[in-house]
Amino acid sequence: MTYLVLAYAFAVVLLGGYVFWSLRTLRELERRQ
Amino acid sequence: MNRYEKAAAAAVALMLVAAGAIFLYAPGDALQGPVQRIFYLHVSSAIAAYGCFAVVLVGGIIYLRNESPVADRFARAGALVGVVFTTVTLVMGMLWAKPIWGSFWTWDARLTSTLVLWIIYAGYLLVRRLAEPGRQAARIAAVVGIFGFIDVPVVHFSVTWWRTQHPGPIVVNNALPAEMLATFLFTLACTLVLAAVLIAIRYRIETLLDAKVAIAEPAKLVSAQQPEAAP
Amino acid sequence: MNPFRVALAVARKDLRSEWRTREVVPALAQFIILALLIGNFGFQIDSRNATTIAPGILWLALVFAGLVAFGRTFAAEREQASLEAMLMTPASPVAIFAGKALAAGALLVICEAVLLPALSILFGTPFSGEVVAAVLLATFGMAALGVLFAAIVARVRARELLLPLLTLPLWIPFVIAGGVAVQSAMGLPGNYQQAIGLLIDFDILFVVLTSLAARFVLDE
Repeated sequence: MTYLVLAYAFAVVLLGGYVFWSLRTLRELERRQ
Repeated sequence: MNRYEKAAAAAVALMLVAAGAIFLYAPGDALQGPVQRIFYLHVSSAIAAYGCFAVVLVGGIIYLRNESPVADRFARAGALVGVVFTTVTLVMGMLWAKPIWGSFWTWDARLTSTLVLWIIYAGYLLVRRLAEPGRQAARIAAVVGIFGFIDVPVVHFSVTWWRTQHPGPIVVNNALPAEMLATFLFTLACTLVLAAVLIAIRYRIETLLDAKVAIAEPAKLVSAQQPEAAP
Repeated sequence: MNPFRVALAVARKDLRSEWRTREVVPALAQFIILALLIGNFGFQIDSRNATTIAPGILWLALVFAGLVAFGRTFAAEREQASLEAMLMTPASPVAIFAGKALAAGALLVICEAVLLPALSILFGTPFSGEVVAAVLLATFGMAALGVLFAAIVARVRARELLLPLLTLPLWIPFVIAGGVAVQSAMGLPGNYQQAIGLLIDFDILFVVLTSLAARFVLDE
């Protein structure tokens, strides 16, 4: 059961974090244009 | 919110709906218990990753034929997003393996070739970072991406063949009941949408980064031509 | 220009240069003996487990010697910027690549002439034509891949780090099939014919692929 939670927590952190980081990078680059 | 942010929000919303399906709609598994639910996102991520690496392959081939910067940018985007999804696949798989198989890892064909896949495309990203940006990096990366894509099924086949030389434990596969299949297909669709959005965002980032480099280069030339006092 | 002549000329040049300086082969031979030594200590070899573990040590030693050997393939060209000069001639890049792969492969084969007898003496493994055939067949494909990726990283920073990272995953099929072939030739379980067949298949596959890729890698 803990493994289930750990697995999905990892996926959320990695995928969600990557989404946020990408959007932030995009924002910064667009601003400098 | 610009259109990329809207698309990302929609993709994330879809993933949340998929999570609902995974945890609330899909039935529990009699044999494996709750840990079986890892399967839905784990397999979807693996398929999304392969899709991303297919983008790298096609982008690389197109780039080698006509040096299209668009193709190269898609390749770059596909590699990065693909490595992210492969990481998800590997870690979720290991966390599933521990309670089910008793250990985080075995050297069966699928795990081994997925690990090789990760290493190859992590190497792709490293080569891009270390090679001189522009034509050299793009060409090298295209070749690495193409060889990488071919190598993974070869490794998979080799390990399967090797495993029959050394028989090991058999993993039991049962056919999926309808609700599980539906949940899986829905999760897969949402994950592919997420992957596509992430590639699109990364493509845009790469386009902007390329533009920055293009502006910086003429500036370098100018400053290199500063008049110097004769010795 | 006849591509075969070109390839042979390039190979001859590299081998002659190695013969004059005698840098790579002695160093690699010593490296191989040291690898066997470390294998002995790392695996706690005794007369019972020697034959089981020896094939594994063979491949470890060969893979790392190969990385060193192929890593140096373009060192001379880099120092003298002669690769650009070669590419400006009408010789086809594939022929140049083939020549370099032949030379590098030959150097590794010379080292194998040290490795296999040493393994036999130090670990008591049988030294037969079958073992030699398996190792030679694997070397062929591994050389093609090793030299291609050596060319790829030749002009990149941190090439010593990148070469193993890029080459080893592609060598895995050769080590698997070669491993089974050597094991079965040494009396352990495994189907020798099948393994050799697989090595030949991999050789053909990767020689064709690397030849196709050489044009894009060596063309600048």
